[in-house]
Amino acid sequence: MNPHPGVHRQDSDEATRDNIARILSGGLETEWQTRADDSERFQAIVKAIRASDGELTTKLRLAGFTDHPITHFDLEQSCETCMYFQLHHGWCVLPELDLPVRPEWSCNVWRI
Amino acid sequence: MSFLNAEEPSACDLVTDFGIDILWHPSLGMELGDNLIQLLEDCATGRKPLDILVFEGTIVNAPNGTGEWNRFAGRPMKDWVKDLAAAAGHVVAIGDCATWGGIPATAPNPTDSEGLQYLKRRRGGLLGPAFQAKSGLPVINIPGCPAHPDWVTQILVAVATGRSGEIALDDLQRPKTFFTTYTQTGCTRNMHFAYKVSATEFGQRRGCLFYDLGCRGPMTHSPCNRILWNRQSSKTRAGMPCIGCTEPEFPFFDLAPGSVFKTQTVMGVPRDLPDGVEKNGYMKMTVAAKSASPAWAEEDIFVI
Repeated sequence: MNPHPGVHRQDSDEATRDNIARILSGGLETEWQTRADDSERFQAIVKAIRASDGELTTKLRLAGFTDHPITHFDLEQSCETCMYFQLHHGWCVLPELDLPVRPEWSCNVWRI
Repeated sequence: MSFLNAEEPSACDLVTDFGIDILWHPSLGMELGDNLIQLLEDCATGRKPLDILVFEGTIVNAPNGTGEWNRFAGRPMKDWVKDLAAAAGHVVAIGDCATWGGIPATAPNPTDSEGLQYLKRRRGGLLGPAFQAKSGLPVINIPGCPAHPDWVTQILVAVATGRSGEIALDDLQRPKTFFTTYTQTGCTRNMHFAYKVSATEFGQRRGCLFYDLGCRGPMTHSPCNRILWNRQSSKTRAGMPCIGCTEPEFPFFDLAPGSVFKTQTVMGVPRDLPDGVEKNGYMKMTVAAKSASPAWAEEDIFVI
């Protein structure tokens, strides 16, 4: 959890993004196929993340992160258009994730 | 109780400045027991003129239509209301219970409750769809849980000063002066709504409460951000999502387990969009606005 919401140390954030990018491109198997099509599924995923060990790879796996946009039912679900994405901080503010992200990434708790 | 908190005008102003004689009120009324029954009978029979009947609370019909589960002053409350409404110049329903039936009328409605002239969105209620008070007006509905006290006193002043003909009502018989705009109108988070910056926790000062926390401000007709509560604030200003309590569907919106104060989505798109906005338009607007959002929109800009 970022202890100072709104205050992001950009160098370390970028290092974390690089790390996530390496993990994703390195073949981390995530549950990206299970898109949160309805609120119940969304809540189930969020609940699973909340109950997890909170490790970075666990979050990425449970949230179904990919390093590219996923198009689902004609909707391009990229971080860039997600309601939890902060454009200028490059941050996902969903409290259960609270991660530095890149606009072209995607996950299955995307919402607009 | 909400009524006693009125400020513009106050409950005292009604008496001292506008000459309203408050015959009886649960907290202010002087009559008790037989004296109260006598007063109510005098009003119902016309021996004592009753210009305005203001009623708060649901109409309980159970069991079997008798209303015996809610007795008041020696008989079912619903019987008093029917008799008094027939004698009154104007009838004003205060709060969700009196207007639409409220929480007691929520399915399965075990008390067989309804409002004065509506059951939720269906016209009818205790007094029936054709009811008109002696003034010719139907029941004036001032919903809310609670109704804002100033909505109540301002309508009472309009009636008491002979301007009831100027009270335009919407299709749910709510005064248009209060219920044409939305809760969102005047919300301090409108810039965050515009730039699609979401709040994710209660009390968070940055971000709009619509996108994640289930705020119904863009779909709810009320002046909560124009006529502030306690003249100070509102739910949304304080970081609490609007719960849509001035609409007949309240509290039915989001009562599934785990869904309260959580925006319900279908394929990632809010199930209930701002009034009048279509899904495609919403998505285009969101993408464009988000990409254009300024850096300050992501910060807590309120310094006190």
